[in-house]
Amino acid sequence: MERRKFLQAGYKACLFLGAGLCISELTACGPATQILHLPVSDNTVRVPVNAFAKQPMQIIRPEGWLYDIAVRKTNNHQYEALFLQCTHQKNQVISEGNGFVCPLHGSRYSLDGQVRKGPAEMSLKKFTVHEDSDELIIELKS
Amino acid sequence: MKQALPLGLILLFFNLSIEAQNFTTTNAQRLIQSGEDSLLMGSNIQKTVVSGYGSAAFQRNFDQQQSTVTLERAVIFVGHQFSQKISFFSELEIENAKVEGGVSNVAEIAMEQAFLKFNVNAHQYFIAGLFTPRIGILNENHLPTNFNGVERPIVETLIIPATWRELGVGFYGNSEKIPLNYSFALMNGLEGANFEHGSGIRGGRAEGNLASANNIAVTAAVQYYWKNFKFQISGYSGGTVTLAPKSADSLGLNSGAFGTPIYLGEADAQYEYNAWSAKALGVYISYPEAGKMNTVYGNNTATAMFGAYAELAYNWLFKKSTKASLISFARFEALNMNSGIAANGEGIYDGTEKQTQLIMGFGYLPLPNVVIKADVRLMHTGPQNPELVVNPAPNALPYQQYNQFLNVGIGYSF
Repeated sequence: MERRKFLQAGYKACLFLGAGLCISELTACGPATQILHLPVSDNTVRVPVNAFAKQPMQIIRPEGWLYDIAVRKTNNHQYEALFLQCTHQKNQVISEGNGFVCPLHGSRYSLDGQVRKGPAEMSLKKFTVHEDSDELIIELKS
Repeated sequence: MKQALPLGLILLFFNLSIEAQNFTTTNAQRLIQSGEDSLLMGSNIQKTVVSGYGSAAFQRNFDQQQSTVTLERAVIFVGHQFSQKISFFSELEIENAKVEGGVSNVAEIAMEQAFLKFNVNAHQYFIAGLFTPRIGILNENHLPTNFNGVERPIVETLIIPATWRELGVGFYGNSEKIPLNYSFALMNGLEGANFEHGSGIRGGRAEGNLASANNIAVTAAVQYYWKNFKFQISGYSGGTVTLAPKSADSLGLNSGAFGTPIYLGEADAQYEYNAWSAKALGVYISYPEAGKMNTVYGNNTATAMFGAYAELAYNWLFKKSTKASLISFARFEALNMNSGIAANGEGIYDGTEKQTQLIMGFGYLPLPNVVIKADVRLMHTGPQNPELVVNPAPNALPYQQYNQFLNVGIGYSF
């Protein structure tokens, strides 16, 4: 393949990708990635319950933190808050289709934080979550 | 371009150093650093983490009637968290167990990775040092517990030369709005003089070993998640002549940052739903000026190479156990390390470099971090080109286009 043709093929691939990304409907099918930036007060973060009306999982970022928290409404209407820090070497883990993955060494976790693939051996840390009328209170010191 | 590149590199490193100096300490971080926050007490107390992975394997080559067994890899990870924003990660690897007197044809002691990571925020970071760029599936995540088969996929060994690590800087991140990851890296380029017939571009990797910085390379990747799918495209472009301009000119080669370029394009998709998982990958390499390199170095490097594979796997213990897995799989691979050869007699076609591989087997993981594997590999290649046969029959056994391998192995990661 000539260089010109190779570059043309590359440009076309980028165009296809760009076009795909513009289809906003697809974003609704992917994992929750709209990140809620929330303030920290008295070692707690408050999340409005109505945030879970459309998506059972929300990713929140406490102000000033370098790690996110995944808050998930379970099938029995309880809430779980997972600290998205890999238990292997403390790298950030990110949301993927059916769980979480650490891009550093490939550790994978299920939606409830259990290890599905190593090298991590411990589940993701969970925070205590209280429900207070229309808000969830996540205890960051728990 | 030649003047702009060093300037760009300086600015990039300058930017990193500013990034490192300008870390503002938030209330939350002060809590973390002071140890008041019980949440991160662990990271304050245990700042250095040691872990690793390894694998051992038995292989029976039925055509050659040879069996081998070896400790393929024993790798030690050392990571250290200097602060909430700066960390160090490394992988020290010993291949085939023993390097006696510092020399061995088959064994190796090497740094597989050694880089600093600078967190910009929770979803973006820079890395600088020796690292494995995001090209293909295996290169970034190559632990034996994370791929099926005793051997790594052949396409991701011979076409994408995993583990492919080089020195440079990279920027990684993920979108806050859509399920998309991205990466971009600037690295030293390949040494085209070291390309070897039969192993694609693998021999050109510098791997941090006194790499030439006369030529450089850029690589980028985008990953996108949709339902139970993960899609990725990645690309690589870099120069392959490490000689100074005068030397290169005298040999008729184009030097400079991107002189005598090589291009790689890759796309893959992975799917996982309950007990089922599947993956597919395709990669294409274009090396337009391979003929010039062959004239100088006589490596018989191809102008084009490609590889592709598809794999389907099923976990028989999916419903019975959350920790243990018994995975059976089948993978079909097709590759051609000389799908394009240089014109005017500057390249010679070799049918043995056009291969198909069918691998079928299983892996039992009593825990996600320990695996016992077994598989068979059925290989078929094109015919030998008589022009390339140095030692014809009956001096050597006739070349067999069909061969079978039995592999049994163990692997671990922690």
